[in-house]
Amino acid sequence: MSTITAALGSDRARRLRAALTGLLAAAAAVGAPFYFAPFQVFQLTMVLLYAVALAGLNLLVGFGGQISLGHGAFFAAGAYTAAVMLDRYDTGHLATLPVAAAGCFVLGLGFGVPALRLRGLYLALVTLSFAVFLPPLLKRLQSVTGGSMGLTVDKLEPPAWSGLAEDQWMYFAVLAVTAVVLLLARNLLRSRVGRALLAVRDNESAAEVMGVRLSLHKTLAFAWSAMFAGVAGCLYTWVIGFVSPDSFSFVLSITLLAGLVVGGLASLYGPLLGAAFVMYVPSVSQDVSEAAPGVVFGLLIIAVMFAAPTGLAGLPGRVRGALARRATRAATLDRTPGAPSAPGANPKSLAEPGPAAVLTPAEPAAVDADPVGAPPRTEKE
Amino acid sequence: MSEPTTDRTEATPGAEPDFLTVRGLHAGYGQARVLQGLDFRVARGEVCAILGPNGAGKTTTLRALCGMVRGRGSVTLNGTELLGRSPEQTARIGVAHVPEGRGTFNDLTVEENLRVGAHLRTGPRRRGRAERAAVAADLERIHDYFPRLRQRSRQAAGSLSGGEQQMLAIGRALMLRPSLLLLDEPSLGLAPLVTRELFEIIRAVNEEEGTTVVVVEQNAQLALGIAHRAHVLEAGRLVLSGPAAQIREDGQVAEVYLGVSVRSRKAG
Repeated sequence: MSTITAALGSDRARRLRAALTGLLAAAAAVGAPFYFAPFQVFQLTMVLLYAVALAGLNLLVGFGGQISLGHGAFFAAGAYTAAVMLDRYDTGHLATLPVAAAGCFVLGLGFGVPALRLRGLYLALVTLSFAVFLPPLLKRLQSVTGGSMGLTVDKLEPPAWSGLAEDQWMYFAVLAVTAVVLLLARNLLRSRVGRALLAVRDNESAAEVMGVRLSLHKTLAFAWSAMFAGVAGCLYTWVIGFVSPDSFSFVLSITLLAGLVVGGLASLYGPLLGAAFVMYVPSVSQDVSEAAPGVVFGLLIIAVMFAAPTGLAGLPGRVRGALARRATRAATLDRTPGAPSAPGANPKSLAEPGPAAVLTPAEPAAVDADPVGAPPRTEKE
Repeated sequence: MSEPTTDRTEATPGAEPDFLTVRGLHAGYGQARVLQGLDFRVARGEVCAILGPNGAGKTTTLRALCGMVRGRGSVTLNGTELLGRSPEQTARIGVAHVPEGRGTFNDLTVEENLRVGAHLRTGPRRRGRAERAAVAADLERIHDYFPRLRQRSRQAAGSLSGGEQQMLAIGRALMLRPSLLLLDEPSLGLAPLVTRELFEIIRAVNEEEGTTVVVVEQNAQLALGIAHRAHVLEAGRLVLSGPAAQIREDGQVAEVYLGVSVRSRKAG
């Protein structure tokens, strides 16, 4: 029983710390638009918006273990849904959000079906084809989509009572949606469905033996993921007020995937970091080299992947792990071989061999387990 | 090495001798036909060991029972045909398979692994408080069988030792509340002491829960120690079947088919 109470105690401490961090982050997020200049607030808004799309992609790629090179198309679908609704039916901004979400959910269900039979590169190709054929299709459907000229719609206007500037109001609207979506993603992953999804990623056949319906969960992962991308697209229309086929070329899909990988797969705040990378790095690389911003962008991606193979979100853990290993090595060098190592030398007791490891020195799994470098459970941190 | 003390053949629960009935089971992978027609029965509450050398078809037999491999013939569990169903469907019927090499979900915590085991019991239509309480009670029960899992409840399964992962895999399967538990080489890659502990727990589970167990093992000694009946497979056919004690006594058979010298071990 004592172990249980101890676990509960540490649980409470962890929860308290998480609540404090959350509170601080919320305060910073609310305060930001009053501190920064309008253009910077706009950039932050775009970061939040991309984070929604990346969180969706993360459900599919990071947690679902599938791949999609077509998420830019779901993003475009959401954006165009909102734009067409605003342009033709004048529905008001709020009404476009649920429609874009539901529409992309259904679209995602449809694309989940090929995902049942295909995996890896094949799935990547099928989804890429969606991203490639959507822009020409949008150009063709001129009567609805405005063709290659695109559609210009009203941006989100602040109501008079708020006393906020346009950029600030849009920021808060997008912040609210992003917060809800990220919470939704988190709760989804901790639910029965999320566990099943992770189980399928880790070991498909073992999950199936446990009664997890593979087809259902893989398709649902696609649908949820597409829905998030669609919501992000809808927000894009709110913020930019203009959509055109060229805004959503297949490069967008690839940028989203790159952003997710750089931010950190299967991490809850990886999408935020990845979105910041996608938003800021191109403009930074423009400053570095006006001639070839793409080269700088690419080199930066390579640099990040070299320094942090688990993404930016995994970087603190890796640094902590490296420091801990160095400390352990220093401690073992100090003492005679065979003597028990100091308890403080290894702060993460995960690596400490338990009684079973003592009994079974020949087990490869016990030796291989490297809790520091591996990406597991980052979303719990 | 002391022999497991009780002779379980006498205690064979004979109430329903046809709980699991396998008739003319053929199975294979593509062109390779592995099983060439198996016939055997397992009574309810029995531990049945399937022994044999490498490549005899032991693992394939289990995979055919749970639906991972397509089979021909007939396999009925309590009157329900199992062949032609997917693993997910046989799991619904009550078949829990602990795959070879354990198959734990390494990025999930120990507790989450166990909860995936209860996946079918917490479906959309069964979200009642009673069901949740039952799952919590089962978690507790499995922690009682495997105290180490309780200690490591919040640890990622990938950081467990091999023995602990095997315990987790069995515990996860038990969360399904199976009527038939299929164990594929539970001793694989484990140290002798850990294996012994594991088999004692399997025996306890069988006795206390009444779960019918089919266990495939290379280590004939251990498996025969907890089994009521045993079948020896060779090249896809059953070459020997009988009460576990009898097979254990039959030293010559054991030497020929199992590659172990039973007599010398007993003497020593």
